Amino acid sequence: PLPGAVWFGLAPPSPLCGRSLAHSKMAAPLWGRGLTAAPWTRGAFSWFLPCRRAIQTTAVCHKNRAARVRVGKGDKPVTYEQAHPPHYIAHRKGWLSLHTSNLDGEGGAAECTVEDVFIRKFIYGTFHGCLANEIVLKRRANVLVVCAVFLQRLPPYKFYFLVGYTETLLSFLYKCPVRLEVQTLPERVIYKYL
Amino acid sequence: MAGRWLRHGSWQQVILLSGRCGLWLPGAGKGESSRHCSGSASLQKTEADPGVTEEEIVVPRKKTWDKLAVLQTLASTINRDPTAAHYMFQDDPYLIPRNYFEARLFSLSKESGKNAAKYIVNEFPRFFERDIAEPHIPCLMPENLAPQIEEVSEAALKERIQLRRVKASVDMFDQLLQAGTPLSLETSNRLLDLLCFYGDREPTREDQSEHKEELEVSEAEAPDQRKRKGRSRKTSDFIGPKWRENNNAERIFNLMPERNAHSYCTMIRGMVKHGACVRAHDTYTDLLNDRHTADVYTFNALILAVPEVKENYIERWELVEDLLKHMVQQKVQPNVLTFNAVLKTLRKCGGMGKSISLKILREMKALKIEPSLATFELLLAIFSKFGSMEIIYEVMDEIEGKTFVARDPDDGNFFVSAMRVCLNLKDVELAYRLHKVLETGDNWKLIGDAQQQSLYCAKFFTLLCMMEQLDVVLKWYKELVPSLFYPNAQVMWDLLQALDTANHLEMVPQIWKEIKPLGLTNRPELLEEVLALMAREIHPQETQMSFANCAADIKSIFETRERNQVPLVWTASALGNIAILFSRVGRIREAWNMLELFKKNNRVPSDKVMNEVLTCTKQSNAPDQAVELVKLAAAFTLPTTAKLARRVIEEFELSEEQKKALKDADPQSSDSSDSDSD
Repeated sequence: PLPGAVWFGLAPPSPLCGRSLAHSKMAAPLWGRGLTAAPWTRGAFSWFLPCRRAIQTTAVCHKNRAARVRVGKGDKPVTYEQAHPPHYIAHRKGWLSLHTSNLDGEGGAAECTVEDVFIRKFIYGTFHGCLANEIVLKRRANVLVVCAVFLQRLPPYKFYFLVGYTETLLSFLYKCPVRLEVQTLPERVIYKYL
Repeated sequence: MAGRWLRHGSWQQVILLSGRCGLWLPGAGKGESSRHCSGSASLQKTEADPGVTEEEIVVPRKKTWDKLAVLQTLASTINRDPTAAHYMFQDDPYLIPRNYFEARLFSLSKESGKNAAKYIVNEFPRFFERDIAEPHIPCLMPENLAPQIEEVSEAALKERIQLRRVKASVDMFDQLLQAGTPLSLETSNRLLDLLCFYGDREPTREDQSEHKEELEVSEAEAPDQRKRKGRSRKTSDFIGPKWRENNNAERIFNLMPERNAHSYCTMIRGMVKHGACVRAHDTYTDLLNDRHTADVYTFNALILAVPEVKENYIERWELVEDLLKHMVQQKVQPNVLTFNAVLKTLRKCGGMGKSISLKILREMKALKIEPSLATFELLLAIFSKFGSMEIIYEVMDEIEGKTFVARDPDDGNFFVSAMRVCLNLKDVELAYRLHKVLETGDNWKLIGDAQQQSLYCAKFFTLLCMMEQLDVVLKWYKELVPSLFYPNAQVMWDLLQALDTANHLEMVPQIWKEIKPLGLTNRPELLEEVLALMAREIHPQETQMSFANCAADIKSIFETRERNQVPLVWTASALGNIAILFSRVGRIREAWNMLELFKKNNRVPSDKVMNEVLTCTKQSNAPDQAVELVKLAAAFTLPTTAKLARRVIEEFELSEEQKKALKDADPQSSDSSDSDSD
């Protein structure tokens, strides 16, 4: 299977079509230009030719890096949420943002998502340094419930000030009642060290 | 097959076919039309008679429900959770307030956070104007607080009045007058309304500091306040801003080409609100001269102002009667606020208030005006001032089982005053009845603000501690704390006394565990009471252990003081009691530390303390410590030194040098004549 082949003169066909494309950094089929007298046998890969220019012609398939914490020396503390990559959602993790826009016939998924991103950044900044974990956003009827777990870094009356401020400001911004449900912890709960 | 109740039409078939089904569906045997049964009685009757042909179906009238009906019904199914704090607080142990001070602090911080957000919204309205709500929610849009219309016109004046800008509207009025534009009577009246309501001052906005205004006002009022005799007035914010002579309202009033009854009425009400009562009555005379009629609110204000105008009791009552007669002449219907105003004035009329107030009550009944809670509160005040508090029983008979709504701003004072009377009468049954009234329907909304609620609960609980058995007291304690109020030191003291009376002193450490988070540990008398109760008698051993732990706790409180707080001073009784408690469980080291603390703090231990510590030393069998003890007693020049010395000699096995040391330490042992005197 030769995808979109571009022939440059004498360039040979790709010798790698038979191989698997799993580790693609090494295996991207390349169409070389300026090859001289290369053998046309399949399976040969001309390493030794100088001044190669190549274009990527098949699909690139990098390693997955989404929402994963890479394994290190064992000194990096990691919470349960951070330790599990996204393929564990619905198996070992729940969702961070709960709304019905993704059901059949419902709209507004994009607006919901944009609002969620804004709210996460807003709360991260307002309660700076106090968030123990990611925020969970729940939309119920008209209400937006923001469930947050904070660290006990501020005295309680400061928490209440920020809670009142956040609730009112977000209500005005999104024109719906916003409620903040707060839990506090003395320290982050570490699941493991990576 | 048996389980498929899918289609309505197949009801009968299914019932006939699948006789094996276990379900008995109500009305299933009656046929198809039972599905359409609307529940009205007529329809059911027609169905019940077999063979009756289709009669006229009476469709019941459609009931319209309030928008909030569902929520209200759901809310009525829930009782108050006595273990939770108020719902405005977050449900987290770190964030739940533990005493009254914290509760107020947290709720005020939350409120100030809301104000900060509103400030931001109003300062930068362009970010909040995207209206995605359907239908439109006006309260979630930024407010437009600046006046839009700039030119000098009546519309601009109206706008400024709407936005409650007092100074700006007065300026606009002056400009209009200079320009010569005629103003309609209505606009002038509205301007007068604004000025009289705010007393010619700017309304306090959230973004302005209230301090500056209070300072100015208090300076202006100091000379006036000294003129008022007898009344203990607090600072200016208690009575509101004062009415200055010839201020803008009066000036504009005099400048108006024509005035109607409304103008006079507003002026009178404004004057009374801000304390210029004599001028109010003069204005009323002007109103009568101009042959206008006043409205009921004006009469209420005038009646309230009577005690300022006349000093003599009889004259006051006569003036009130005069005003009421004018009301009748001008055909103005009184309302409940009128009668409450009359009662308020009667309160200041001395002894004759009692009989007249009953007459007022009868008038109210005759006019079919329901008395509000403020009426009852005023009745209680009038009667209890002059000794006869039994009227509360009749009041309770009146209000039992009724639900009240707020009709008078003073309704919130009723429950606190009634509970105060119950406490004075020491009647628990009455208090229970009052509490039941509070719990009927929506009456809890009339409890007043947070301070009044906590006063009510404190008085209730004090009465219970005095009169009821301990288990009832503890049940009510669990019920009321911490959801309704946080006890103060006095309440805790009463609770300890109740424990003492019931002879359940082993619960003192538990009560101590309640006292600590309440923040009452900076009250030395409470701490000493706790220690004294524990140390008074000897209890079984495990109680003693818990007492000793409690004592160690209290000791650490005395020693560790946080910054900003005045350190607690050790008293002799506190030290002594702690020492006794330690020695009773055999913690000799700590008891010894206490004795050393005596010396450091310049206090003298009592005999009981020394004896107890000696007993403890005996148990741990340390004769040199016993000798030390006697030496210490001698250093304090206690009268019991001789006795102690004798005890030591008798109970311990001493070596020779110890006996010699004893003899040296005790100055009186050489005098044989004095050795028995204590």
